[in-house]
Amino acid sequence: MSSVSREELPEPGSPHRSTALRGIDGLGETSAPAVQVSALRKTYPGGVEAVKGIDFQVAPGEVFGLLGPNGAGKSTTIGMLTTTVAPTSGSARLAGYDVAAQPLLARGVSSVVFQDAVVDGPLSGRANLLLHAHLWGIPAGQAAGRIGELIEAVGLAELIDRPVDSYSGGQRRRLEIARALVSRPRVLFLDEPTVGLDPRIRHELLDVIAGLRTREEMTIVLTTHYLDEAQRLCDRVAIIHEGAIVALDSPSALLAGLGREILEFRVSGSPEAALAALRERRVAGSDAFAVGARVTVPLHEHTATDALAVIDGDHLHISEIATRIPTLDDVYLHLTGARMASAA
Amino acid sequence: MSAIAEAPSIALPAPPGRARAAGALLTLAKRRASLTSKTPRQIAVPLLGPALLATVVAPALKVATGGLHSQIDYTSFVGVGAVGLVIPLSCIFAGLSVLVDRHSGAQRELLAAPVPRAFLVLGNLIVAIGLATLQVAVLIGLSALRGGTFHITAGGVAWFVAAGLLFTVFMYSAAETLASRVTKQEDYVAATPAVAILPFFFAGALFPIGAMPGVLTAIAKAFPLTHALALMRYGFIDPSGKGLHDIWGMHTVTGEAWLSLAVIALWAVALAAISIRVFARSAVS
Repeated sequence: MSSVSREELPEPGSPHRSTALRGIDGLGETSAPAVQVSALRKTYPGGVEAVKGIDFQVAPGEVFGLLGPNGAGKSTTIGMLTTTVAPTSGSARLAGYDVAAQPLLARGVSSVVFQDAVVDGPLSGRANLLLHAHLWGIPAGQAAGRIGELIEAVGLAELIDRPVDSYSGGQRRRLEIARALVSRPRVLFLDEPTVGLDPRIRHELLDVIAGLRTREEMTIVLTTHYLDEAQRLCDRVAIIHEGAIVALDSPSALLAGLGREILEFRVSGSPEAALAALRERRVAGSDAFAVGARVTVPLHEHTATDALAVIDGDHLHISEIATRIPTLDDVYLHLTGARMASAA
Repeated sequence: MSAIAEAPSIALPAPPGRARAAGALLTLAKRRASLTSKTPRQIAVPLLGPALLATVVAPALKVATGGLHSQIDYTSFVGVGAVGLVIPLSCIFAGLSVLVDRHSGAQRELLAAPVPRAFLVLGNLIVAIGLATLQVAVLIGLSALRGGTFHITAGGVAWFVAAGLLFTVFMYSAAETLASRVTKQEDYVAATPAVAILPFFFAGALFPIGAMPGVLTAIAKAFPLTHALALMRYGFIDPSGKGLHDIWGMHTVTGEAWLSLAVIALWAVALAAISIRVFARSAVS
């Protein structure tokens, strides 16, 4: 086992970070995964298959992202892991505790920040934090110190004794993050933590979450459909689409699969015809895709000039031509868009 | 926002034990009490109608009709009868807070907490009992001030308290069950008259059940409220147990009292178990 310390960890998103995490003392490969999901499936009454037998593991100290559009099954997965949704089949363990057979123990080592505000509005922020501390069995003396530290950290010291009903959306979300941290959970679930917030508050919250990962030594499972968030925060991401995981790797590894450069343009005719022409000339591979009239072509062995020569030769009418580096959006659209097209 | 500083390590939550379980239950009850105290209408409103019944309507009817034509004072008879309205209304209001919790409160946070989900129901129940006790005490006090006569003995208080307590458990459990079954507050409010008010008219709150046609008297005997009111009157205003005789027709009033207490207890235990089960099932999708 290597002797890398947490301060020496590679940056989030680095392909080496997940490997490094497994090498931290006490978080070695022999320790139980913080989250272990096996063949987890949820079918709601009426036959809606929200989650279709997914498998993944999250190492202690890792930040793991579940990416997907609304209705992909992210929140149902979090619901099963936090025991508020009953799995139809399969199993899930938090810090070794089976969420179905040992729900109290599993809940005792985890906390969750929900997508919507889940607070007692008439009570003060402090009362909400104390409630969490008492329910999670934190001794009163320790809880007071921890709460004082957290309200400073999330910038709520001035408001903490006011009723939560008087908080803004961003303040409320910061309170919920602080609340989830009061019990120092081994696993923290953040379900769309920044959805509905304005950009400034969103970036502030991302700073708070980024601070957690470096200082709090906890495993974080984050769901989001903001891919920049995942790229910034996560060691690994699972892209979930229609209840199934369609890709699972570090952001950098997923990006590497799309090459070093992306050519993007808008076509006035059929985007499928343009894609076919580029594939026939072997300029575009199977990872090229179209969303509406916009065609995205990852460039692996060719240059943008090669691709444009083909386009000129085939007299395709294109506009808004640009090259850029790949983002997780491209990975996501490639994986989910292709599947949507094949399903259609 | 500043960064989160390093802090002394906090011990992992202790495994659930009796002391921790009691602490969690107390925490949930304190939370509910805090939320209730923020909405004083929940305390005052259920009391208004019954208080007017006991202090205005009963004395007026006593004058207009001559009362019950027995040794029992009609003002105190209705004073106790109004308990049959104040407890159901109080419990129904308390049940409404379950819906508020689900739609705009912290219910999901509580569901994710390492405490048995039955505690969420029991914590609410503890506060509902406390609130109903306060309201009943005020109601009886107002009735006494308005001229009602009560014969307070230790044994009588015990019967009154036991009947009131068990009936409150039954009524709150019914409210919690209803709140878990419906999705919208409108549906809950629409069901309130049937659950909270209708039994009041059959249970002998304003007149002895024997004054009704035979079939209605028979139906009234099935309501736990009928037994509760008869027991509470036996405890406070009717040592001869006339209301209990109307139900059971036996010769020993103590035996009748125990039977009525058993009926209320049966309803209370059954509804409490159902409410916990329904809540636990409805809370998890």
